[in-house]
Amino acid sequence: MTKEMQFKEIVAQYCNVEPEEMENEMRFREDLGFSSLDFMSFLGELEDTFDVELEEEEALKVLTIADALQLLERLTV
Amino acid sequence: MGILVRDIMEESEKTFSDIAAVRWLEKKEIAEKSYRELAECVRAVRKGLLAEGFQGKHIALIGVSSVEWIESYLGIITGNAVAVPLDAGLPAEDLIDLLNRSDAEALFLGAKHKPLLKTILANCPALKKVWLLQEEEVQEEDGKTASFANLKVAAHMDSEDAERPGPDDVATIIFTSGTTGKSKGVMLTQSNLAENVRSVNFTAEPGTVLLSVLPIHHAFCLVMDWLKGFSLGSTVCINDSLLHMVRNMSLFRPDVMLMVPLMIETIYKRLSSADPAIPKQVLAEKVFGGNLKIIFSGGAHLDPFYIDEFAQYGVGIYEGYGMSECSPVISNNMPGDCKKGSIGRPLDNAKIVFEDGEILVKGSSVMKGYYKMPEETAETLKDGWLHTGDKGYMDEDGFLFINGRVKNLIILSNGENISPEEIENKLGLSPLVGEVIVTGENNGLTARIYPDQDVVGAKGLGEEEIRGALQAFLDQYNKTQPTYRQITALVVRKNPFIRNSTKKIKRQEAMIDEPLPTA
Repeated sequence: MTKEMQFKEIVAQYCNVEPEEMENEMRFREDLGFSSLDFMSFLGELEDTFDVELEEEEALKVLTIADALQLLERLTV
Repeated sequence: MGILVRDIMEESEKTFSDIAAVRWLEKKEIAEKSYRELAECVRAVRKGLLAEGFQGKHIALIGVSSVEWIESYLGIITGNAVAVPLDAGLPAEDLIDLLNRSDAEALFLGAKHKPLLKTILANCPALKKVWLLQEEEVQEEDGKTASFANLKVAAHMDSEDAERPGPDDVATIIFTSGTTGKSKGVMLTQSNLAENVRSVNFTAEPGTVLLSVLPIHHAFCLVMDWLKGFSLGSTVCINDSLLHMVRNMSLFRPDVMLMVPLMIETIYKRLSSADPAIPKQVLAEKVFGGNLKIIFSGGAHLDPFYIDEFAQYGVGIYEGYGMSECSPVISNNMPGDCKKGSIGRPLDNAKIVFEDGEILVKGSSVMKGYYKMPEETAETLKDGWLHTGDKGYMDEDGFLFINGRVKNLIILSNGENISPEEIENKLGLSPLVGEVIVTGENNGLTARIYPDQDVVGAKGLGEEEIRGALQAFLDQYNKTQPTYRQITALVVRKNPFIRNSTKKIKRQEAMIDEPLPTA
């Protein structure tokens, strides 16, 4: 599974959108219906799955799927 | 003679001395302090505060949960001073306002929040001292800043200890959202707190593990996770970040947790999205850590659906009810004595009556009043009866139920009480916002905005441009706010809000967007 697909599978746990239907500009809170805590918990899962450490302040600036993928890309290089 | 928080802590030190009182993560390793070690640190803070002349003064705390935070808090309230815990997530201007309004003369500041130091000192003239919550000694050039470690060093083993406070002395001031948009400082006395700890009818074996995941400046967390936990000889573990709640559940393997409904909802999403082939017991071990049997839920109403769902994983959820003004628990369900959908039986120190359906409470945990707000105090406390703002009823078995609200507050499922006016005032600052009403929906806040037609006309804005400009304004606003005060949905109205005869917007009709009837 690609990193992006793995990422989208985690996103899908918190919302009713299938990974294939996710678009880059979708916002976690507004479009995918994440609660503030869903988002925190999701970030924690990203850390565990991809073995990265997120700076909480940096991570909380993430609004869209594209933002999160970019952040993940930077950290896993 | 009423009991004091100091009595509770001294009893625990004597009874549970070698049991771990607190566990936390330090560079990914679990560190701990026993009840004896904790008590020594608390005494050192208390003596340090006395030696530095802060007896009877108001001392604020800004920071997330940490062992230093709780030692400082206990050092303040077991002595003669008043602790003012503040929400570290608030913008600097709000923190400054609360520091000034609470007459704080000293501050414990989380090391992570050190960037706030200069602004705070420049804008809070009454502050004489700031201690950074860190174990390394520091001495800043401003002459006012040192560290928590310096303070403890200032107190020698044989130095004088602070006198015991009186049971009716104010121990803490906790800020809570006001309905008028200005937060109110709830004054809780020594016996308010101690009586709430005593009256919550929950017992557990010493060494029972509790994982504290709620914000520590909230009364529910402070009194029930920490003070109640300490009174039972529990080991209270600190969740270092909400990012790591599930990971920390596996690490600390708690027996009991206090949560707000939002947490239960998030955990449920993880449970329900797992592969159905995984046996429930295995999944419970993975998600809950393996030992969790009891979750106490409070802060907002929980859908009883989750109680049944979690029961399948061997975890009981017990809902309770309270508010900061009642120190905070008023009623709760307990293992072996619960009714689904209710908020449990009232504590034995709380008398309950109903006035036009509103729940009124009287008893030894009801606050002394709002700090320097006599009018608001008189409105809420009448003849010793606290008007909760919630509507409810009691069933024939003595269980309390909630069925509505009197006051205009939004209660989010994370337990945060939001005053819509406070946010509307801020959003109203945009010239493009003509009228705005904030409502609470789907676990978040929705801004319903009727654009200012003069601005729209002057700039010749189309529908898409209006929405884009408003969303950009909301994004900007959200950046300055803690997550629970952020706007998560925008509705651009086509028509003005419906108003009553005194020209006030009818909030209960804010969702209706129809042309106004022409006169």
